[in-house]
Amino acid sequence: MVDIGILLQILFWGIYAGCIYILLATGLNLIFGVMKIVNFAHGEFLMIGAYITATIFLISGINPYVIILLAMLALIGIGAVVERLCFRPILGSGKLNEIFLSIELIYIFQNGAAMVWGDEWQSVKSPYEGIAVPFGSLNLPLDYIIIMVVTAAILAALFIFLQKTRIGREMRATSQNRKGAMLVGINVERMDVLSFGIGCALAAAAGTLWVVSGQVFNPYMGSIPAVKAFAIIILGGLGSIPGAIIGGLLYGIAENAAAYFLGGVWKDAISFIILIVVLVFRPTGLFGESGE
Amino acid sequence: MIITRDQGTKAITILTVAVAIIAPFLSDNLYLLNLLSLMLICIIFASAWNLLAYSGQGSLGHAAFFGIGAYASTLIATASGITPYFTIFLGAGVAAFIGILIGLTCVRLKEWFLAMVTFGFAIIVQTLTVSILAPMTGGWDGISSPRLLSPSIPGYQFIEYYSILLITIATIIVIWYIMRSRLGLAFSAIRENELEARASGIDPVRYRLIAFGLSAYIAGVAGALQIHHIGYITPEIYSVDLSFWPVTYVIFGGLGTLAGPIVGTIALTIIWDGLKMAGITFARYVIVGILLILVIIFLPKGLVSLPDRLKEWWERRNDTAPPKTGRR
Repeated sequence: MVDIGILLQILFWGIYAGCIYILLATGLNLIFGVMKIVNFAHGEFLMIGAYITATIFLISGINPYVIILLAMLALIGIGAVVERLCFRPILGSGKLNEIFLSIELIYIFQNGAAMVWGDEWQSVKSPYEGIAVPFGSLNLPLDYIIIMVVTAAILAALFIFLQKTRIGREMRATSQNRKGAMLVGINVERMDVLSFGIGCALAAAAGTLWVVSGQVFNPYMGSIPAVKAFAIIILGGLGSIPGAIIGGLLYGIAENAAAYFLGGVWKDAISFIILIVVLVFRPTGLFGESGE
Repeated sequence: MIITRDQGTKAITILTVAVAIIAPFLSDNLYLLNLLSLMLICIIFASAWNLLAYSGQGSLGHAAFFGIGAYASTLIATASGITPYFTIFLGAGVAAFIGILIGLTCVRLKEWFLAMVTFGFAIIVQTLTVSILAPMTGGWDGISSPRLLSPSIPGYQFIEYYSILLITIATIIVIWYIMRSRLGLAFSAIRENELEARASGIDPVRYRLIAFGLSAYIAGVAGALQIHHIGYITPEIYSVDLSFWPVTYVIFGGLGTLAGPIVGTIALTIIWDGLKMAGITFARYVIVGILLILVIIFLPKGLVSLPDRLKEWWERRNDTAPPKTGRR
């Protein structure tokens, strides 16, 4: 019989892993909602974010949880450039073209990063490493708790931005009906740049959290989390941010459970098994409508 | 839009064949011979991917079928002692069978959901190979695979090269035949407009499954050939990289054309190994990536369409008459 403590541990680690997926999936959802594009290179933004944080942290020693803001700002810029140069020219020319383009972006970013930072696995020690908070029979690492709090704060800020500000409302209008938004005078191309930038910033936040949790990283780390994030938004429903949150948590927990019960190699496979099983029975995803 | 224009296609194919036959005579360089063999195998692999794309489906996990064909052929050849020249086609049969099974789960999905499922499928197959199937496959360490020809035969590299060339040409002829047949017409009808295809009595599900099976079979042939050529197989064969290569070759050459994968593979191999000889390692991915993005944006039909585009541009320059409408 499995110990209840171990189950709690799996749950806790799953929620922590889910935080990174939630940030990635939410960003993808935002981009997909507004621009209707499929960007498989989203994980590369996570990787760049991770490296920016690690580099600034190693040089300056600033608390990495503060650097998260710098990394997000930097990635808004990079995202805007990528959107402007690569995705806007092919907007509306078909999903396959977008997938091809993102594959080439993956090559460029991964190997560009390898040229700058080298292709070895690296890791960074968080200032709070080793501090644990006792919780019942468990000792929870302080870093993981901060990561959960930071994720919740970022999501709350995004929610307020989308609901309460004018730009946020314009963005939601664009995602609901692009032509209608154009007709009422919203600059949809600006919304494209903005949503792409914010999506990338969320990926950078995920990358920063990846680094501070003490996980190893290298230039090739991003592609599989990104595809999993896509699996999450397919399951959770395209364009639905609550769906992305639920899906992200589900994936985090399922992966950790699979790694514990079946062995570490199953960690990646389990996410795709879930995806395929769901799609066999519901070709549009768990909560999906037959939209795009 | 049926892109197989016979004249141009034929010319390019013949040219390719001629180059491929002449090349090894130009040098006794075994490195070059090996490179050309691998290039031919990549042409088969890219053509297989292209055939699937011809029916309007995009796969990001073709390494799965490449690898399944390779493993199946290796295991059959090792267990039975039959020559790899025969087991290649048996192994590819296994790949086709599994391809149809995964196709069954995919045929009702939209094109990029399909890309997700196939991507995940390659990862699942890799996981199975190193866990449950490890006693057979040797896990992460891999197993050795029987060579196409025993190295004791004099000049075996040349015979091997020509047999690979023969299989490549045969594959391209088969694909050419498929594209020109009613089957190919059905594929492009589904790709262009599924509703109209249905209205004219084409069952999209059935034809998509056929395309999946055929494509997986040809990818399996390519995988088995490569592994019997190298003589060793590891689960690295299911890597994401290998799934992305055929996509890159095909979009560089020209999606949905017979000559596209051939031209794309040859051109990229030259660029790729040229950069390697120049001592560029990581940067060549960046260079090729940027090149490919430029092709996607400015030459959406690939290198194959370059002569036409140049001709069009030349005529427009020399003509004072107003330009024809519809640049793309």
